[in-house]
Amino acid sequence: MSALEKHRYTKEHAWILPEGETGTIGITDFAQSELGDIIYVDLPRIGQSFKQNENFGSVEAVKTVSDLFMPVAGEVIEINTNLKKTPTLVNTSPFEDGWMIKIKMTDSGELNSLQSTAEYNSRLGK
Amino acid sequence: MKIVLFSDIHANLPALEACLADIEIHKPDAVYCLGDLVGYNIWPNEVINEIRRRNIPTIAGNYDYGIGRSSDDCGCAYKTDVEKANGAVSISYTNQIVKTEERHYLRSLPSHIRLEYQLNEEKFNLLMVHGSPRKINEYLFIDRDEKSLLRILEQADAHIMFFGHTHKPYHRILKDENGHYRHAINIGSVGKPKDGDVRGGYAMITLDESFSLSTADSLKVEFFRFVYDIEKAAKAVEDSPLPNEYADMLRKAY
Repeated sequence: MSALEKHRYTKEHAWILPEGETGTIGITDFAQSELGDIIYVDLPRIGQSFKQNENFGSVEAVKTVSDLFMPVAGEVIEINTNLKKTPTLVNTSPFEDGWMIKIKMTDSGELNSLQSTAEYNSRLGK
Repeated sequence: MKIVLFSDIHANLPALEACLADIEIHKPDAVYCLGDLVGYNIWPNEVINEIRRRNIPTIAGNYDYGIGRSSDDCGCAYKTDVEKANGAVSISYTNQIVKTEERHYLRSLPSHIRLEYQLNEEKFNLLMVHGSPRKINEYLFIDRDEKSLLRILEQADAHIMFFGHTHKPYHRILKDENGHYRHAINIGSVGKPKDGDVRGGYAMITLDESFSLSTADSLKVEFFRFVYDIEKAAKAVEDSPLPNEYADMLRKAY
């Protein structure tokens, strides 16, 4: 069983790890490698709510800026404050220490619209 | 006071000589260089020595930072395999030809220059960086989101910020939450323009007692372009171990 068995992915290369009613969100290893060295992660405030696919922040890398989109709808309950001081955690540990926000999901049924790890990897040609 | 700023010469001596002659026409009170003196052409030592001879205050660009440390990484964020392969040839060649004294100069350059002003009641800061205040090789293109660009200036406590690195000049005026206008000015490139105009470029501001943070248009910013012997610079590339694509880039400004 893959270590990323429970992760689900968007077309914009974000992942969500659902745990009950909550979910942790970040961007994939492919996304960080395309972006290059990350300099700043613009994250929302705790308590803000977003719809599925809504822009919730952005990642500023050396050569480009990329918007972040919600895999599913929800309310932000925690943000990764370590990214303020060390944004390169997204480069070095995209699936763990480089997580971005935790949310309380509005409708976990929306997870069904996302890709599994196998589907996502197959899309990348892995 | 007239302040001239130029940047990104990239070892192009014919361009630097033409630039310095053009600058003299304006009789500026101060001249600054925002880095990337070396890389991509055959005259890194000559460019360094011309700038030193004229005592022009200079900050380090990412290429200077790499060569100053004899590194094989110029922090250039190349995307394609061709760019990476060409880039590897350029930094290796530059490391071979830069002399000890000149390398030591690059190694000693400061990261930023900050000027603090109080012309009237209000205080304001002018900041010179190569890429951005937070990273020497960050590319601040003209389409950078306003919120992001403003945040970068605010976090650096800069009201007027000059930078280069992208080789594409622009001036953006940003209004902060206090109602103050801040200025982000990319001064373009002397020796390797990438905006489709093959001429070299630099910028000049006129700063006097009429400047106010409360008025959007109180800072006079001018961008100048000058002609230089592009063929001489391009042929020098072709007659060297450097990839010929760098000659093509000079002839077409990309």
